[in-house]
Amino acid sequence: MSETIIDPVVTARGLRKKFGGKEILHGLDFDIPAGRIYGLVGHNGAGKTTTLNAMLGLTSYEGTIRVLGEDPFARRAHLMENVAFISDVASLPRFLRVRELFALLSNIHPNFSTDKARSFLEGTDIRPEMKIRTLSKGMMAQLHLAVVMAIDAKLLVLDEPTLGLDITYRKRFYRRLLEDYMTEERTLIITTHQVDEIEFMLSDIMFIRDGDLILHMQMETVNEKFSQLVANEAETHAAARALGPVYEETRFGQTVFIFDGVPREKLEPLGKVSTPTLSDLFVALMQRPTANPETAR
Amino acid sequence: MKAFAALVHREFIEHRGAFFIGPLLLVAVVVAMTVLAFTVGRVDVRITGSMATMLPGVVLFWPAMVLGVAWGLYLLAVLFFYCADGFAADKRNNSMLFWKSMPVSDFRMLLAKLAAAITILPGAVYAVVLLSMALMLATAQIAMMINGTAAMSSLLGLVTIFWNVALIELVQLLVSLLWYLPFMALVGAMAVVVGRWAIPLSLLLPTLAATVEWVTLGGLHPFETRTWHYLSYRATMREAGMVDTWIADGPMGVDVNSGVAYALDLISRIDWLQVGIGIAFALGVLYLASEYRRRAAAN
Repeated sequence: MSETIIDPVVTARGLRKKFGGKEILHGLDFDIPAGRIYGLVGHNGAGKTTTLNAMLGLTSYEGTIRVLGEDPFARRAHLMENVAFISDVASLPRFLRVRELFALLSNIHPNFSTDKARSFLEGTDIRPEMKIRTLSKGMMAQLHLAVVMAIDAKLLVLDEPTLGLDITYRKRFYRRLLEDYMTEERTLIITTHQVDEIEFMLSDIMFIRDGDLILHMQMETVNEKFSQLVANEAETHAAARALGPVYEETRFGQTVFIFDGVPREKLEPLGKVSTPTLSDLFVALMQRPTANPETAR
Repeated sequence: MKAFAALVHREFIEHRGAFFIGPLLLVAVVVAMTVLAFTVGRVDVRITGSMATMLPGVVLFWPAMVLGVAWGLYLLAVLFFYCADGFAADKRNNSMLFWKSMPVSDFRMLLAKLAAAITILPGAVYAVVLLSMALMLATAQIAMMINGTAAMSSLLGLVTIFWNVALIELVQLLVSLLWYLPFMALVGAMAVVVGRWAIPLSLLLPTLAATVEWVTLGGLHPFETRTWHYLSYRATMREAGMVDTWIADGPMGVDVNSGVAYALDLISRIDWLQVGIGIAFALGVLYLASEYRRRAAAN
């Protein structure tokens, strides 16, 4: 029986980036397979945007990175036929009307469909005659999302796409993305500070801290590997600590522990056990040396 | 090619205010003033009609030429500001990341801006020049009709003047754009790097270059160097030899049928080697600017 090997959409080996002598990325190694939804999470200044910029050919770097088999910095223009991205929802050209934008894009981008873009705007308040500069921030985000979703791309990269939007727009934005865009052939990489809002849609997670990848695994593995224990009784705390929690904090009189790789059977007698949310895990792992010291996939 | 044409078109959309809508408004104001001047009797319609019939060269050809020169000066100014500002506009108006998400290289992006500066943008101004000339000649025709001196021959005379002046101004425009192409590219390339600072820097650069030669190679003063002489030569507007005759003879001596002769004379006087060098220089500085743009932080 023959087995088809599908190349990763993104491959990085020893990815480094310096700004003015200061190293921002310290040799990242990772592969991103096709058809996955990746969350890239980290503090401000951790190197998320720099990593994405390297993938998108927007910045030079040391090491190797290949996106769809191409060097993004050398071949950005060619690569953008199959890669779409939103790095800043306020970056749409404000001097254009919506219909002018679509008309230009249909000539500039070989994989852009005006009909699709129009259909994505149905049900919104955005009209073809509107000038982009008159749109609200939420409408601008809807328009930008309609533009990128109308591009038949293999990889979509969203860097803080909902920054500054209210909760209604944010929910609508992600629902639309999931329902109308994602297919098995497409890969999505997304960064946001509101990790809990995208947790439901992620297949994989990457935590980046100070230019290092400290966690890179599938969400199923995260759920199996990490456990959260809420212990009310003071006498159980010592037993919980003996199992080596990666993080401990007190919330409203309860002590919360997060464990890495400890079987749940061992934790259940000590209190209420659950899977930590991504934001809890993020807070926990940002304070320890590394979550998975072995080479990331 | 379709993508390149679309990029040139976007430059027109972005800058149509300066190159098309603004000039149209200006024409509308001048037309309104002309109508008002005739209406209140500030200009006598019968005298105008008589003069246009008897001395079309004086009343129509020369004013049409002067109109063209005035629009040429306007175009020179807006093109300079377009190059100093438009080449950096993507960064200034925060749309750089959007355009970088398109499958177009930075070089093609800048090349489209330069192409717009020598095609659609001056083309829009030229269209307004033709419109303003047509309005001026139509005013003359109406004045002749009111005066009772209008005839088929006078209409043909107006068409002849229109065609000749339009040809002279078109050829003058095309030659000037080609001649000044390296300057436009240089200002645009500087704008990519330093933004609007390109405006003062581009004015200082020739003096700086001449001073460097004076300091390093000697000479009487910076304005007596080869650099300065060369830049002066390259900055001088090319024109046909008959302009000197027209100025010497005055409006009465002008031949309203001189369009083709002017065009041929101007083309024969152009230093085409320098035009070629200028095009190569323009592409070179644009490439360097595109490499800067490719490497510079987009956000």
